[in-house]
Amino acid sequence: MSHGVYAQLLDLACGVFLLCAVVVLWRRELAVVVRVLAVQGAALAAIAAVLGGHERRWGLLVVAAGVGVLRAGVLPYLLRRALDVGAVGGGPYREDVSEGRETRPVVNVAASLVVAALLVLLAYAVARPLVALDPTPATRALPVGLSVVLIGFFALVARRRALAQVVGFLVLDNGITATAFLAASGVPPIVELGVSFDVLLAVLVLYVLTARMRAAFGGTDLDDLRELSDR
Amino acid sequence: MNAVGPALAAVGGLAVAGALAGGLAPARVRPLAAGLCTAGLGAAGVVAGAAALGGARYGVWLPGLLPLAGVRLAVDPLSGLFMAVTGAVTVAVAVYGVGYASPGGGMHGGRGPGDEDAAGSAGGRHAGSDAHEPRDALAAGGGDHGVRSRGAQAVGPVFAGAMVLVPAAGSVSTFLLLWELMALASLLLVLAEHRERPTVRSAGLWYAVMTHLGLVLLLVGLALFAARAGGESFAALRAGAGGMPAGVRGTVFVMTALAFTSKAGLAPLHAWLPRAHPEAPSHVSALMSAAMVNLGVYGLLRVGFDLLGGGPAWWWLLLMGAGALSAVYGILQAAMASDLKRLLAYSTSENLGLVVLGTGAAGLFRAAGDRPLAALALAAALLHVVNHAAFKALLFCAAGSVLRATGLRDLDRLGGLRARMPVTAGLFALGALGAVALPPGNGFVSEWLLLQALVHGLAVPGAAAAVVLPVAVAVIALSAGLAAAVFVKALGVGFFARPRSAGAGRAVESPPAMLAGMALLAACCAALALVPGALGPALTRAVRAAGVGTEKPLADGELGVHLAHTSAALHPLWVALALVAGTAAVAGLARLPARRRARRRDARLWDCGGGAPTARMAYTATSFAEPLQRVFDDVLAPEQDVDVTPVRESAYLVERVRFQRLVPDRIEHRLYRPLLAAVSGLADRARGLGGGSVHLYLGYGLFGLVAVLAALVVGW
Repeated sequence: MSHGVYAQLLDLACGVFLLCAVVVLWRRELAVVVRVLAVQGAALAAIAAVLGGHERRWGLLVVAAGVGVLRAGVLPYLLRRALDVGAVGGGPYREDVSEGRETRPVVNVAASLVVAALLVLLAYAVARPLVALDPTPATRALPVGLSVVLIGFFALVARRRALAQVVGFLVLDNGITATAFLAASGVPPIVELGVSFDVLLAVLVLYVLTARMRAAFGGTDLDDLRELSDR
Repeated sequence: MNAVGPALAAVGGLAVAGALAGGLAPARVRPLAAGLCTAGLGAAGVVAGAAALGGARYGVWLPGLLPLAGVRLAVDPLSGLFMAVTGAVTVAVAVYGVGYASPGGGMHGGRGPGDEDAAGSAGGRHAGSDAHEPRDALAAGGGDHGVRSRGAQAVGPVFAGAMVLVPAAGSVSTFLLLWELMALASLLLVLAEHRERPTVRSAGLWYAVMTHLGLVLLLVGLALFAARAGGESFAALRAGAGGMPAGVRGTVFVMTALAFTSKAGLAPLHAWLPRAHPEAPSHVSALMSAAMVNLGVYGLLRVGFDLLGGGPAWWWLLLMGAGALSAVYGILQAAMASDLKRLLAYSTSENLGLVVLGTGAAGLFRAAGDRPLAALALAAALLHVVNHAAFKALLFCAAGSVLRATGLRDLDRLGGLRARMPVTAGLFALGALGAVALPPGNGFVSEWLLLQALVHGLAVPGAAAAVVLPVAVAVIALSAGLAAAVFVKALGVGFFARPRSAGAGRAVESPPAMLAGMALLAACCAALALVPGALGPALTRAVRAAGVGTEKPLADGELGVHLAHTSAALHPLWVALALVAGTAAVAGLARLPARRRARRRDARLWDCGGGAPTARMAYTATSFAEPLQRVFDDVLAPEQDVDVTPVRESAYLVERVRFQRLVPDRIEHRLYRPLLAAVSGLADRARGLGGGSVHLYLGYGLFGLVAVLAALVVGW
């Protein structure tokens, strides 16, 4: 792989990766959002694979394969299943039939996109000195990872449905993983294995929690959960 | 290779062995095993300290003992002095503690709830906790909790070991580690009797909060110092201190001084001391009051003089102010206290105030360039540390004996103990003599030296010295006078006259181990009182190690005290002999006429219907302190409450008069209450931030992250 092709492939993967994060903020249908998340997982795997292929590190390719399976396959599949169960369980007689859509986000879509743009700007500004340390193509793409972290965090704040929040959490985690790949040019397989396992467990727990919430309250609007406040 | 290294190793090893013995040994031998280890480590501390005072220096770096920084020890004569004092107190108090925690006799007999009568009739093996005095009752029953518990016995040696080792620390990390170990161990010991008295818990809370705030200050101050100096060993700090800007040096000094003066129990950061010291088991009180508070002074000397290499006059004026305030305030509060251990705790605050006053004076003289006088003031302060350790440990141990025998700390209910506990009473009297700063007590020598330093300091140029030094002299004089009243009260009301409660009436003398421990301390007091000159060379070396002056403050080779640079001299031995001779002569003369009329018999004929004087007619602590309270009414602002209950049929016939007097700690009211109220008000308002919404909480996280990043961007 020549240097130019490597840089372009890496930029392409990073672009898709960032774009997916923005789309997650933009679209309201949870089914679409889950599909976008799968694409983002694939982009993340592609980043790892491009890095591994360029530096001829086969361990990184293994990691890329694992990341791809988990983040483009298993996690979206789990979310999809949770969504289907919700759609069936919701039924026509439920008061809130729009489980599959994020009807009233805390911050509306237009404002969300503006905020996402600001967050990306912030990430680029913050990463400037880091990039200046060692301006390789991978380091230049570092702000993308930071932006996705911030956007994922914002999605966590701005979305009401439990599933949308799980998606936000996964975007945040994707961003962290991408930052690790880009800044340290890959992590050892054992570390990545631990992190991935952690994420899988977190999603499983949230999955169960979502089902319980739905069974108890008939919906997964997190703003209904205010009983634990201090006063 | 000198004796310091092996002795320090023995201290560490015995601390661990004592902790294991206290934690694992069966209950019968637990106090003995832990006590022997503690006494051994104290003795090792004395050996190490004496070797260091003899001029041996020792330094070692053990990188493998702790991750990252390793353990660095450095011993010089200044640390040697504090190690020797701590070790000596530890030996005596450990011996005392074996008796204090031993079963059988007095309060600690493992008695069941119902056998009080049986215990009371069994020839003095009584239990002093009346049903009417639950608040005062010690009631440390079985071996599962209280001072005999596994926890308390295991922590005791750790506390003693940490205290002995703190002065040996040679780097910031080692110092902070040992300092915190000491604080935590003492906190656990303060809480040892939390099941018996609810006040213990509140005292423990105060102590925990204040000691940890102190630790935070110390941590920040020393970290700042180490960062600026470019190394965390004391040698690096010493080397780096010279090139620092004055602002940084001042900040470091103020922060560490706040922490150290709080540990030394100085006003206005004293609030923990009169709470924690009385509520701790008595041998722990003795250790805390005679050894732990000294380490605050050590820290001041180490950081202020040695590491920072002295500083401008305002540092030392601040110290002198704090010292003077706590000297007067502490002794005033002690004069009002009727709880024996609380009285002693406030007296600790006073004595450490005097020590810090001397330290501040030494710094002031040094800043003015008068090295010999600075050395004299510091030597006086160090000698007072030694003296105070001796007599305060003795007094707290004696108070513990009283508490153990009667279950009472309230002087108003004690009395008449001279007849029932003659040895304890005599030892308490000896300690009180040291505390009142009158000849021939040991406290007199050091306070005299301090006064000499301050009086001769009037020659030092500068307006500050001209104003501050006379005031300081007056403060010392006032505190000495009040101390006399305080200890006359403690001794006279507590031990003379008649017992004023059933508990005091049934007291028995303490077991031999406790008496032996107190006798050791009494011997130290007597030696310090009679031949203080023997400490001269050691004090000279310690003062030199602190970097205050290279001159000898005291002339060597004399039993008396000769000031090297002025004409003053004092021979305590002759003073004592003269006093003894004078007293004997007066007593003999008084007997002479009595002998001539030896056959006169006294009999009551008409005593105006009053009958024999009862215990209720004797002075109580409260009534004894009343005139003083009137004199200092404006300062103390006591709260009095007279409650007259008439008989139901007639308003003119009084059934009951209830009198209550409280002397609140005014500094506490003015300083701590508003602060605590403000903090809890803020906390209440902060509660509004927790609205319960998950989005809100997540939003806080995001906002915080973005704010930090934005600050990074702007600040880059």
